[in-house]
Amino acid sequence: VNAPAAQVLVVEDDPHLAAGVAENLRAEGYAVRLAADGESALRELAAASCALIVLDVMLPGIDGFAVCRSLRERGDNTPVLFLTARGDPQDRMRGLESGGDDYLAKPFHLQEFLLRVRAILRRWDWYRGASATAATAVLRFGGNEVDFRSFRGRNWNGEVQELTEKEAMILKVLAESGGEIVSREDLLEKVWGYDVFPSTRTVDNFILRLRKRFEADPANPRHFLTVWGVGYRFLAAGEP
Amino acid sequence: VKAVRVFQLTTLALVLVAAVQVGYWLFDQRAFTVETVSAQREGYAEQLAAAQALLDAGVPAARVQTLLPKIRIAAGRAELDPVVAAGLESLERRRIRQYAWEGAFFLFALGLCLAVIARALRAEAKVLEEQDSFLALVSHQFKTPLASLQLSLETLALRTPPPEQARVLTERMLADLARLELMVTQILESARLERGRVDFKSEPLQLAPAVQHVLAHLEERIRGARAEVTSRIPSELYVVSDPLALDVVVRNIVENALAALAGGGGRVELSAHARDGEVELEVRDSGVGFAPADGARLFEKFTRLHPGGGGGYYGTGLGLFIVRRLMQLARGRVSAESEGPGKGARFLLAWPQAAAERP
Repeated sequence: VNAPAAQVLVVEDDPHLAAGVAENLRAEGYAVRLAADGESALRELAAASCALIVLDVMLPGIDGFAVCRSLRERGDNTPVLFLTARGDPQDRMRGLESGGDDYLAKPFHLQEFLLRVRAILRRWDWYRGASATAATAVLRFGGNEVDFRSFRGRNWNGEVQELTEKEAMILKVLAESGGEIVSREDLLEKVWGYDVFPSTRTVDNFILRLRKRFEADPANPRHFLTVWGVGYRFLAAGEP
Repeated sequence: VKAVRVFQLTTLALVLVAAVQVGYWLFDQRAFTVETVSAQREGYAEQLAAAQALLDAGVPAARVQTLLPKIRIAAGRAELDPVVAAGLESLERRRIRQYAWEGAFFLFALGLCLAVIARALRAEAKVLEEQDSFLALVSHQFKTPLASLQLSLETLALRTPPPEQARVLTERMLADLARLELMVTQILESARLERGRVDFKSEPLQLAPAVQHVLAHLEERIRGARAEVTSRIPSELYVVSDPLALDVVVRNIVENALAALAGGGGRVELSAHARDGEVELEVRDSGVGFAPADGARLFEKFTRLHPGGGGGYYGTGLGLFIVRRLMQLARGRVSAESEGPGKGARFLLAWPQAAAERP
């Protein structure tokens, strides 16, 4: 028996494009819901969650970036694939900063779009699967505690930490590696997909953020260790 | 554009350098005057001391006077000629005042120059910014139908759909092409209107046949929208306008009303009457309407209150913008009102009235 089809919410104000995207997603076996503007998208999502949101940026009323931000603010971590007529790098960065998972400029190639949808869902399937049991849902290290289901944690100092989905995913990948070295490329591939970010520098920035959250002395990390020229190694027990 | 920018910035830099130069020169001149005058004073003081020494040494006053003409000798004492002293004083004062005035004037003129250039630069920056945002909007407008076209074509290529669905995709593509064509026409038209490059004729035109012509042209659209259109235009009404502009304006307003029915059918009523030297054409629809506050925003470029359109019709966000510009050129006006979403809308076009008996 097949698993129930993944629900995809398509938020697009152009009826032709919305219909075309929906037909193709259905043909691939996804269940599709449609929303024509930001407000109704937020209402739809409040009523029932979904596995992925395909979100147009230029919407009547509140734009796609704002929709994504308000989702993240209310703790909704549903992955978002932005579709937009603007493809310049600043716009791309804005999309990813507002909490998007991927970004596709119009006009796009159908197969690339479907590939990206599949990649995002696969990443999230892995993340959810890897955080499904009580044993894997919560990570404890050096007095820190992170719950991968709620993206919340508490650090060694007792401060509550609200992780972004990317931070949680990176932490998950590192924690799953069992103390082995994880290359920057591996992290990029597992957390973002292929060509979303221009460089591996991005990974470094996220590691810095994780250190600030969970290391007693971020300048001399004991858990998030840099392996020069290769990548990172995570030691739950801390470096001796 | 780059050459102009370089020229402007060079001028700005030169004016700035000139301002600094003039300021420096004025201060230098002032210092020089003060120096010269005080040197002269010192000279006179030396002459005075010499005269006194000569007098004290017993040289006759007349002899001392011929030797030192600027020194006056009275009762055996030497003193500087008051006229010379006053001349020195006034020379210094006059010069300094002159520098102050001229300097102030120079600096004022240069400051004005700077302000004018800075203002021009700012105005230009604003125009460029507007052009940029116009381009961004235009590119967005184009990319959506292009994306839809590409998606339909790739769907056909990837999936070999059954004939029924292939027909739907083909119709969608044709509609996208029509949308692109309309957009190109309207963008060119609005660009032409914005630059004022229109040959606008003002002639008396009979309103009723003009409206009939538009309605006949839109017959298929009216049927597609399942609209019930009524038109009551008295034949004696003449307006002053350009014939082409009149056609474009009426067509846009009627198309807008049809789109407002959103494919659900409804009424569109056209009526006209003369009032205060104007002819008013009223177009009412029973369509989707809009929030009362949006009435003015409707006529701005790229405003689409119902971007989904109705019944497969897509607005470009330029139609009503063009209407407003054309009505301005015709010295008429256009306005829109609605009691709210779902309550229909009323568009009012008003042209100057032309005498009915004129040909």
